[in-house]
Amino acid sequence: MSRTAHRLIGPEEPLWAPHHPEADPVSMHTLGFWLYMMSDALIFAALFAAYAVLDHPYNAAGGPQIRDVVHPAGAFIQTIILFTSVFTYSLSMVGLKAGNRAFVIGGLLAAVVFGAAFLGLELRDFARLFAEGATPDRSGLLSIFFVLVAAHGVHMVFGILWMLVMMVQVAVKGFTTAVVTRLLNLRIFWMFQASIWVCIFVFVYLNGAYR
Amino acid sequence: MRADIIAAVNQGIIAIVQLRHRADFMRRRCGWLRLSPLALLASLSGCSGHQLRLLHPDGPIAATSLRLSVIDVLIMLCIILPTGIFVAISLWRFRAARKARYDPGFTHSVRLEVLMWGVPFAAVATLAYFSWRGVFLVNPYAPTALGQRKSLLAMPDRPGKANPLVIDVVATDWQWLFIYPDQHIAILNALRLPAGRNIEFRLTATDVVNDFYIPQLIGMIDVMPGMRTKDMMRADRPGVWQGFSADISGAGFSWMQFPTRVMTQAGFAAWVAKTQAVPTHLDYARFRSMARPTIDLGNVTQVFSAVQPHLFSRIVHAAMNGVTYTTPMFLTEHMRRDLARRVPYLSGYPHS
Amino acid sequence: MLVHLQGAWTPWLGRLTLSQIPYNSPIVLGAFVFALLMAVPIVALFTYYRRWGYLIREWITTLDHKKIGVMYIIIGLVMLLRGFIDGVMIRTQQLLADGPRSAAHLQAVHGYLPPFHFDQIYSSHGTIMIIFAVTVVLTGFQNIIVPLQIGARDMAFPYLNAVSLWLTAAGAALVMISLFVGDFSHAGWVGIIPLTELPYSPGVGVDYWDWALQLSSLGTTLGALNLITTIVMMRAPGMRWFRMPFFTWATLSTQTIGLTAFPVLGVALALLSCDRYLGTHFYTAGLGGNLMLYTDLFWIWGHPEVYFIILPAWGIMSEVIPTFSEKALFGYTVMVAATLSIAGLSWAVWLHHFFTMGAGPGVNLVFSVSTMLVGIPTGVKVFNWSLTLYRGRLRFETPMLWAIGALFLLLVGGLTGMMLAIPAINYTVHNSVFVVAHFHTMFLVSVFGIFAGLMYWFPKVFGFRLDEHSGRRFFTFFSLGTVFVFAAMYILGLMGMTRRLDYLYDPHWQPLLIIQEFGIFLYCVSVFYFCKMIYVSIRDRAKEAHGQDVWQTSRTLEWMTQTPVPFYNFAVIPVVHGRDAWAMRRDSGLTATSPDQYEDIHLPNNTIVPALLGGLAFGFGFGMVWRIWWLAGFSLLGIIGLVILRSFADDKGFTLKAAMVRRMERNHEDTGIMTDHISPPVAELMLFQ
Repeated sequence: MSRTAHRLIGPEEPLWAPHHPEADPVSMHTLGFWLYMMSDALIFAALFAAYAVLDHPYNAAGGPQIRDVVHPAGAFIQTIILFTSVFTYSLSMVGLKAGNRAFVIGGLLAAVVFGAAFLGLELRDFARLFAEGATPDRSGLLSIFFVLVAAHGVHMVFGILWMLVMMVQVAVKGFTTAVVTRLLNLRIFWMFQASIWVCIFVFVYLNGAYR
Repeated sequence: MRADIIAAVNQGIIAIVQLRHRADFMRRRCGWLRLSPLALLASLSGCSGHQLRLLHPDGPIAATSLRLSVIDVLIMLCIILPTGIFVAISLWRFRAARKARYDPGFTHSVRLEVLMWGVPFAAVATLAYFSWRGVFLVNPYAPTALGQRKSLLAMPDRPGKANPLVIDVVATDWQWLFIYPDQHIAILNALRLPAGRNIEFRLTATDVVNDFYIPQLIGMIDVMPGMRTKDMMRADRPGVWQGFSADISGAGFSWMQFPTRVMTQAGFAAWVAKTQAVPTHLDYARFRSMARPTIDLGNVTQVFSAVQPHLFSRIVHAAMNGVTYTTPMFLTEHMRRDLARRVPYLSGYPHS
Repeated sequence: MLVHLQGAWTPWLGRLTLSQIPYNSPIVLGAFVFALLMAVPIVALFTYYRRWGYLIREWITTLDHKKIGVMYIIIGLVMLLRGFIDGVMIRTQQLLADGPRSAAHLQAVHGYLPPFHFDQIYSSHGTIMIIFAVTVVLTGFQNIIVPLQIGARDMAFPYLNAVSLWLTAAGAALVMISLFVGDFSHAGWVGIIPLTELPYSPGVGVDYWDWALQLSSLGTTLGALNLITTIVMMRAPGMRWFRMPFFTWATLSTQTIGLTAFPVLGVALALLSCDRYLGTHFYTAGLGGNLMLYTDLFWIWGHPEVYFIILPAWGIMSEVIPTFSEKALFGYTVMVAATLSIAGLSWAVWLHHFFTMGAGPGVNLVFSVSTMLVGIPTGVKVFNWSLTLYRGRLRFETPMLWAIGALFLLLVGGLTGMMLAIPAINYTVHNSVFVVAHFHTMFLVSVFGIFAGLMYWFPKVFGFRLDEHSGRRFFTFFSLGTVFVFAAMYILGLMGMTRRLDYLYDPHWQPLLIIQEFGIFLYCVSVFYFCKMIYVSIRDRAKEAHGQDVWQTSRTLEWMTQTPVPFYNFAVIPVVHGRDAWAMRRDSGLTATSPDQYEDIHLPNNTIVPALLGGLAFGFGFGMVWRIWWLAGFSLLGIIGLVILRSFADDKGFTLKAAMVRRMERNHEDTGIMTDHISPPVAELMLFQ
């Protein structure tokens, strides 16, 4: 066996990397944001798991069953609205490629409006349930129903807040690296919330109503 | 009612006195050993040998656990001892001052790497086999260890139709109630069992999770509110063992031990007959007042006759429907302050 | 109010009243005096030497990963001391409260602690040791060492790194303040359900525990994504995956666990908060709740957390043992595979924490086998370390002593761990002190690893060695204490002693309890030697000062930098030619820290925002605990507003000119110290200039 474990560095080999390019900030932030989305996905995974555990007639504790509280038709309208919001956000990305500030802001504004409409419908749905006496403290089943849907709603609120901030930043700062990175990551965030909503729509609303 | 309380208090005093006797006995017998460095050895042998409860099982369930432990430790020692010795020898041989053979190139060896994955794998495979045997042997719902073993290697039979004695166990905050539903009797904070007969426990709690445990007889099983767990066991011989509550459940948890008296079949029958004659009855209303948070200082025991039928499922369903026994502030947050004023719970809240 | 609260509530102070300050408890008062005695001299010294400005400019506002790491370690060590004192109090209570005739002191029934106070102490002991001591110190090491080991100037997101630190600090501060204002949880560090529900824990203790954990787990999640991005994106040229130092691999595995496991803890705790604040029924026994849901969610995080704690410690051992064996790590590739498989398996074993919950034999068997599978890669690691020793040239300096100690502890922990993995055995010891002894053995592997790391890297970070003489005594007494306490505890477990007992029924346990207390005494002696070691080292720092590579046989890139490490880490990013990059350079006779050609270095400015965010997070937590809604609301709005504000102020950063770098590097080589004290300015202060 050799005296040393490794070879020696020859005189011709470079030792230093002057002007070593730092990691590209856009791709670095994007990776970081994807990792954050992964942790967010785990939050929803845990919530869906809790829903699966508590989605049993027993967990209704004599109160309303899940089919009594969900209205898939209303949720379908919400789905369409949310996807329109995602679509308009994607349009603003087209504007970003063209470097058109007004286009981007317009797309964001539309996404905000549709997102707010989605939240409005959700709140109306909640108000109706509260009026019917189906409140989160009625049973374990309703607890997880409200918390799961509301957790998604809170993410939506933050998404809308973020979009409002970005509208101002696009207007004030233009397309700096930081602003573009944020717009790209917000797109991931917004699409992710839409896909979470699809899961809620399928597993809670459709599965709950037509089981 | 008043008579009950007096009887209960008397029993509690007797229990305390008995404990003191045991403690004195211990002191006399071990005396100087208690403070000596040899106490470790003493506690391992002779003087308090049978205090190593897990190594002196008195029933098939605990015996099975012990047997598996021994097998496990032996198998693991086959790996761990040589490794430890190898490390120790290496530390000695290859210390820099000794100028032993130095080979910095020795950093990789396929043969050794196959071995280092293979040996643990073999050990885990063997242990997995015993784990598989074990989960059925002491399966709380139907432990095959209670059945007959045909040979050393064969799996024992299922417990069969041995007509087990059913005991309903209810953990309150912070007492144990043992109901004998077929005999319509119950006993608080103590357990009586016949030797040689299979026992089936059905367990629930009123409020918070607890853990039922008699080291020499039966392993732990969680006791949960609104749910029923089961466990089965058999005691080999008459005697007194200590039952423990093993999972923290609040302020009174440390006093939730219950003496477990295993009697001969005849003795047990006599005790049942005697208990069936006591004037204190137990219905759900009485249970509710009893189940209020109580710290059982001094192990106050009490027996009941004419226990309401299906009391156990009534308790389970009550918990399922949201019946709770709220812990008052002075048993938690303000305990420090209120203890200074010696609030009544010390003398048996809320009975006094 | 959505839920029924016992006790008073007012809009301005929430549940906070004067009576919540336990001034009449002699023990808490003693703790308060002790804390004052610790804090007053520090405050006085800072004021006397007029160092507050320095503290804020150079530390509170810093984005330098090394300083952040040092602050993590300081927080962790302070919490370690607090957790240790808790441990001493637990053991002493059990010694004094053994047997029905045991005396009562102060206001207790037996011993000197009433049950509820005792319950708080073991709960805070567990919470602090796991979440705020070991986790935090190890995060500190990863923060300091990983960027250096991969040849980077800083973390991927330096600002986020500071936010993580201050969130952790806010959580730790909540735990600490619970000592003096109100109470801490009494339901164990795991928060046993439904004991943590409002009817059974009517006070604020559980809320303290809940929010402290939430804040620090948020910090840990953000830290995890930061470290992963750093390792993936910021490696020096030539640093291929399988050239990464082993500690970096351990960090990558650890932080992957952290990123995926901590959100689950967040959910488990958030649902508990819903129960306690909104009256929902997630974990209640009645009305459709499911208390096993909490236990599952908690341990789905809880078991990966165990590996979150132990993998970095194994990483440290894998750096220390090769250095002091003068040999590369044996079976590097296999070690990486073993670490990754442990990280993967950590997700599949959680149910072994509650075999006794009444699951059927099939379920228990699956988790039993998956648990035992973890033993295979763990065994592989032990074999690799022992083969690294084999045919090495071993020097037993303090870091090596700790690493070897950890190795032997791991053997004991492995033996008992395999016992516990078998449900049939687990039933008999599940909640006994046997289990307590087992997981303390495993956590002590981590603690030994921490001390190995502390002794090993301290000279790199501060430029002088820790005193070897008291360091050895520290090790000796700590190890002896471990033996006495935990050998006795294993035997007590076999005697049937269960966990968390305020009053012990059986007087037969007394001899072993005395042995334990003797071990505790040895631990106390070791703490004295630790303090002495720090004091002597600082006093003699000029004597113990040294150059870039104090151990002469270290192998990884962090030893190539100047000592102490300048804030830009590497004047010029090095090229990596193989595994153990520094050992290769040293053996080739190339020990220069930088070439003759320098370049401008660009780094972010310091900023006060992360510390403010931490302060607001503390305010939010405190407001939620006491249900002071206005405080919680304003803090939350403050956090959101500050984040938005910061996103508008794009940090242009700070550029260090090549000429300045040259001067600093040359000065350093000549004098061995940083003569020009330069670090990035505070961004907010620049607004006023």
